Amino acid sequence: MKKSEKRLFALSLAAAMLFVMPSSASAMHIMEGYLPMGHAIAWGAVCLPFLAAGLISIRKTISQNRKALLILAMAGAYAFVLSALKIPSVTGSSSHPTGTGLGAVLFGPAAMSVIGIIVLLFQALLLAHGGLTTLGANTFSMAIAGPFLSYGVWRLCRKCKVNKSVSVFLATCLGDLFTYCVTSVQLGLAHPAAEGGVMASITTFMGIFAVTQIPLAIVEGLLSVAVMLALESYASSELSELAYAHQ
Amino acid sequence: MILFDKLAYSSPIRQKSPALKSLFSVGSLVVCVTFREPVVCLLIFLGMMAATLRFACLSPSRYFRLLLGPAVFLALSSVAILFVLSDTPPQLLAIPVFSRYLGISSASFVHWAQLMAVAFSSVSCLYFLILTTPITDLLTVLRRLHCPWLLLELMLLIYRSIFVLLDIADAIQTSQNCRLGNRSFRSKLSCMGQMLSVLLVRSLKRSSLLYDAMESRLYDGQIRVLEETHPACTKEWILCILWLGFCCALSLLLKGGFLI
Repeated sequence: MKKSEKRLFALSLAAAMLFVMPSSASAMHIMEGYLPMGHAIAWGAVCLPFLAAGLISIRKTISQNRKALLILAMAGAYAFVLSALKIPSVTGSSSHPTGTGLGAVLFGPAAMSVIGIIVLLFQALLLAHGGLTTLGANTFSMAIAGPFLSYGVWRLCRKCKVNKSVSVFLATCLGDLFTYCVTSVQLGLAHPAAEGGVMASITTFMGIFAVTQIPLAIVEGLLSVAVMLALESYASSELSELAYAHQ
Repeated sequence: MILFDKLAYSSPIRQKSPALKSLFSVGSLVVCVTFREPVVCLLIFLGMMAATLRFACLSPSRYFRLLLGPAVFLALSSVAILFVLSDTPPQLLAIPVFSRYLGISSASFVHWAQLMAVAFSSVSCLYFLILTTPITDLLTVLRRLHCPWLLLELMLLIYRSIFVLLDIADAIQTSQNCRLGNRSFRSKLSCMGQMLSVLLVRSLKRSSLLYDAMESRLYDGQIRVLEETHPACTKEWILCILWLGFCCALSLLLKGGFLI
């Protein structure tokens, strides 16, 4: 009873805030300086093995096929542009997609973790979304956790012979939602509530960010379906070329 | 195309040593985040604001508007940190909700104020860096820090391609608008989907053209470019280190409770 009360109130407050402030909402980038140094370093360290594994796999791929590096670079630029564009939103405020779910489905999750850290660094340096000290935490939530879940859901759906559009929608939408859950956990761990501690704080963050993130995830899922349908219809040869990045 | 990039290239201190500028802003950022001392954060914020307004090509009003960039994240996360729900009425603000109280306690207010100070001062450090130093200069700093070459190469290629792709995306969106696209939520979704798929096809085509061009110029897997070097003089290094040392010492003193 008391947890649901709390969530209800947090939701209504957030809704009120949302209507008062029609400025642009970026995806779930944790702002610069928001995490204590210990957390920032720890999340960075968690990302390192993924980054190393990704770099090793890319190095192996490009030793066989040098063109793969350029395809990967274009994929990275594409992921950046995707996140820099404003997507149609239901509430009237503009918002940016994460783009990592679609990237994971197109290019594979291992490549996405390396591309993701570069894209997040550029987002911090060129768009001021996120930051340098929170790069590790943002990389973990947006370039590792989200894409791996997206890719897992996508493979699972393909195995179970689910309709292609439905599986793209589920993969990108669930990947986005997972990103938002991981970010809430990161924020909750960094700023535990005075009463109830970490768990209470995590549920509060989840409840509040749900207002912006759930519509965003649905819109991004729909958008990814539109992209995949268009690609399937007149670019199947290019799609097969992307298998380079999958290796 | 990208505001921060344009401003960085037009900064009057763009020709100064990128290593010095990076040390100044990242060093201050680390001091802010490590010690989390509101007074030092305020000092760093003022210092960075003065430096940015002096050395970057932008007006104060624009600077403050840029500072409010992450406003939505800030507002939403502040709600979670500032407001507490408890059985006893909180000290600063109490609203009875059902049988309990929702409000702002003095502990949560202090925590929130400290967080705001740290967040805004670190954003101002980041802004100083990105408003005075273009990405290519930062890549030379990373190269000197022995970042893996593959990562650097990818960064260079991605940075170069971003602007090409943004141009294409912009042109496609303009032509869609001319043909009465982007009118309703439905058409916006389908227009955006078409645009993104064309963009992916074009970018793949472009990467294969780029590969052909590079192969014909003897590309062997590594891109070598000449670096511009702008060494800073000793006086500037000393000033920068003095500033960082002063901030560190002040934070340590305040943390130890020797001042106040």
